[in-house]
Amino acid sequence: MSADIMLEIKELNKYFGPTHANKDISFTIKKGEIKGLIGENGSGKSTLISQIAGLYASDSGTMLLNGEPYSPSSPVDANNHAISIVMQELGVIGSLPAGVNVFLGRTKQFTKNGIVNLKSLNKAAAEQFKKWDLPYVPLNKLTDGMMIETRKIIELARALSVEPQLLLLDEITQSLSMNNRNKLYELINKLKSMGRSVIVISHDVEELIHITDSITVLRDGEVVGDVISNDTSADDIKRMMVGREISGDYYRDDMKPEYGDDVVVSVRNLTVPGEIEDVSFDVHESEILGFCGLSDSGIHTVGKAVYGLLKPSGGQVYLNSKELVIKKASKALRNNMAYVPKDRDNEALMIHASIHDNFNLPSLTELQGSIGYLSPGKLKKLALEMTNKLSVKCTDIYQTMDALSGGNKQKVNLGRWLAKDIKLLILDCPTRGVDVGVKAYIYSLIKEAKKNGTATILISDELTEVLGMSDRLIVMKDGRVNDVIHRDEDFTEQSVIKVMI
Amino acid sequence: MMKMKKIRISLQDVVPFAAFIIIFSFFAITSKGSVLSAFNLSILLDQSVMTIIVGCGALFVVAQGSIDLSVGVNLAFTSVVATWAANAAGDWLLIPVALIVGTLVGAFTGTVVSRFKVPSFMVTIAMLIGMRGIVNYIQSFISTQAIPESMMILSEPYVKYPAFLLIIIVLAYVFEFTKVGKYCKAIGENETTARFVGVPVTFMKIVAFAICGLTVGLGSLFSLSSNGGTSQQIGLFFEMKVAMAIFFGGVLVTGGTSAKLYKVLLGSFSITIIVNGLNHIGLSQTQYSQSIQGILLLLILGVTILASKKSRKSAQLPDEAEAIDEQAEEKTAHLK
Repeated sequence: MSADIMLEIKELNKYFGPTHANKDISFTIKKGEIKGLIGENGSGKSTLISQIAGLYASDSGTMLLNGEPYSPSSPVDANNHAISIVMQELGVIGSLPAGVNVFLGRTKQFTKNGIVNLKSLNKAAAEQFKKWDLPYVPLNKLTDGMMIETRKIIELARALSVEPQLLLLDEITQSLSMNNRNKLYELINKLKSMGRSVIVISHDVEELIHITDSITVLRDGEVVGDVISNDTSADDIKRMMVGREISGDYYRDDMKPEYGDDVVVSVRNLTVPGEIEDVSFDVHESEILGFCGLSDSGIHTVGKAVYGLLKPSGGQVYLNSKELVIKKASKALRNNMAYVPKDRDNEALMIHASIHDNFNLPSLTELQGSIGYLSPGKLKKLALEMTNKLSVKCTDIYQTMDALSGGNKQKVNLGRWLAKDIKLLILDCPTRGVDVGVKAYIYSLIKEAKKNGTATILISDELTEVLGMSDRLIVMKDGRVNDVIHRDEDFTEQSVIKVMI
Repeated sequence: MMKMKKIRISLQDVVPFAAFIIIFSFFAITSKGSVLSAFNLSILLDQSVMTIIVGCGALFVVAQGSIDLSVGVNLAFTSVVATWAANAAGDWLLIPVALIVGTLVGAFTGTVVSRFKVPSFMVTIAMLIGMRGIVNYIQSFISTQAIPESMMILSEPYVKYPAFLLIIIVLAYVFEFTKVGKYCKAIGENETTARFVGVPVTFMKIVAFAICGLTVGLGSLFSLSSNGGTSQQIGLFFEMKVAMAIFFGGVLVTGGTSAKLYKVLLGSFSITIIVNGLNHIGLSQTQYSQSIQGILLLLILGVTILASKKSRKSAQLPDEAEAIDEQAEEKTAHLK
């Protein structure tokens, strides 16, 4: 065996009950290699790296780490072998400060007589941030209430603090904004130059080709392709993933801004202290208004503030058709506005409740009969119709949300609003963590809403997404509107990035 | 005619039924049938009435993931004030004063909990202690603790039982078939989600505590009319009985969709049967009955929680990678 192979995986199998999640997976990763892992939701990517990270034991097959047999019994064991992971779903403990989260489970080194020395712990954590050039995170603050992006960075710091020879990243870029993505790419390159290896899982094909040396494609638990990144194209990869040709244009194909004259919502001088300042814009009937910006630009805050979830210190959100000011989310709900948050599991869905209950929640007012009667039949009908219309993969409508895959959760998250007559739809990163197929479907839903006259505010960390869908694009910087670009103007990534930075 | 219908019963929903049946059969056998006599059954119902009415009101609060430990002291306060008002200004005042005072106390609690974001547990414990003092003070100067004779009509069976039924039907309707109940459950499932969808969370919390208070007002009328008036002991440990009935019935402390009204009915009956049944088999001393109640509560809560975990697990589709990811996350959470 050649000396430059770090990890060799041979015929790995994993079953979950009757499901064969990984079938005879074999591949190798060299020292200093950046390997991409891609496949649709449910193709077994996460299962595979969970086995490498010691979260699951394999049912059969072997792994060789530097030529030695390797079968980690736990993530700690994997850490001891210099392998660490950043998982897809959030893995920080909200009631603990950021610094403690970095050394979670390893606070012993800072403990004296049973007392953890927070000062030296935070110092060590700060050193990690400095060493790897990670963006600033307030280490003393509780992670509860921090943005997804910040929490992801804390997890990344935790993974890096074990000095990994092999780092596993499960869909981390989707939670990061442009500038921090670039930082991550630099970090990956740095690890590579140190002779360390990285496995990256991402749904973003272009990104993967760009940052990796080689890509392994999984479908239904099997390896269906193993290619050198430089010799492949995005279409090749997509074809391998779904096993058939798929059309490339899931965004809009026209290049003209097209929307009605009627202003649906006017936002004037909206200010949320420390987040956004003096933000004003109009969104029209049938318009898709994009928002993009770097991580501290405040684009996500705009969504929350417009839906009345934050108390602005100044300015107002004015609903033209009814001539009223939206101050509270309950008022927004009553007046046919909708908000799809970025954090699906914690903010959007009742994760332990059924698909039925989640579909119905925003429509309860509309479903009421006389004396407030909510007929179980009506509720069931709505849930069934929407489940079928959106083809949500589930056993029945009474299944709990936590059993669904990310893509199907997102269908419910967005779809439940489409059961109503919505005037303004606010979407915050609607395609985070969903695969190509569902992504295309979500875009088609947005296009359909546009056709029906709905005004849409599309907030996204994915530049290609807002460029592909918006009529107008508002570029924000440091909480202010920096520029408004129309679809028929200079609508390219380069020109937008120039304004963003 | 029979259409095959897939019946969905989760283990979690079976537990309260099973507990009820086991307890009932146990006492029916050990008491050699005396528990089942018509006379005793009517006593059982009488003894459950208060717990059921207030339990159904408190269910709105528990569904939100909160708890109201002030129902006992609210009952005492409401009873004393209503008795005072009725004796001082007119018999008929008993009813409106009881309902209004009970509701106001509830709304006050709800306001403190929701506006100032104090955990309901702490607010209501503070109420439990503080208000008892006020109750004792009022009792020290009112001339009589008995309600006016004319109001005793409320305890007549032809008034009492129809009123009881009506109250339960209305509460069941509001809880299971209107937005109020659905919103309460949504708040218990995930308060952030409810808020982000546009549920008026603050308002709904006040409403839930106010409904709970209203049922305390109703309960005080039943209690006053059947006892003839108030006493120093009124409402003592009543909050515990109500909480026990709700959790005994299989509602989870976290509330949410596990909250169902029928569970309160079952839980209330189960608790009443335990107390009543222990009497019948000659273990009437409170030291026995209280310890046995405690042990049974622990046992049933344990089984309910286990069952809810199990049904959650079996609901997962194994072929979805994300579901597996979450299991992985749980696994690491343990390791941490």
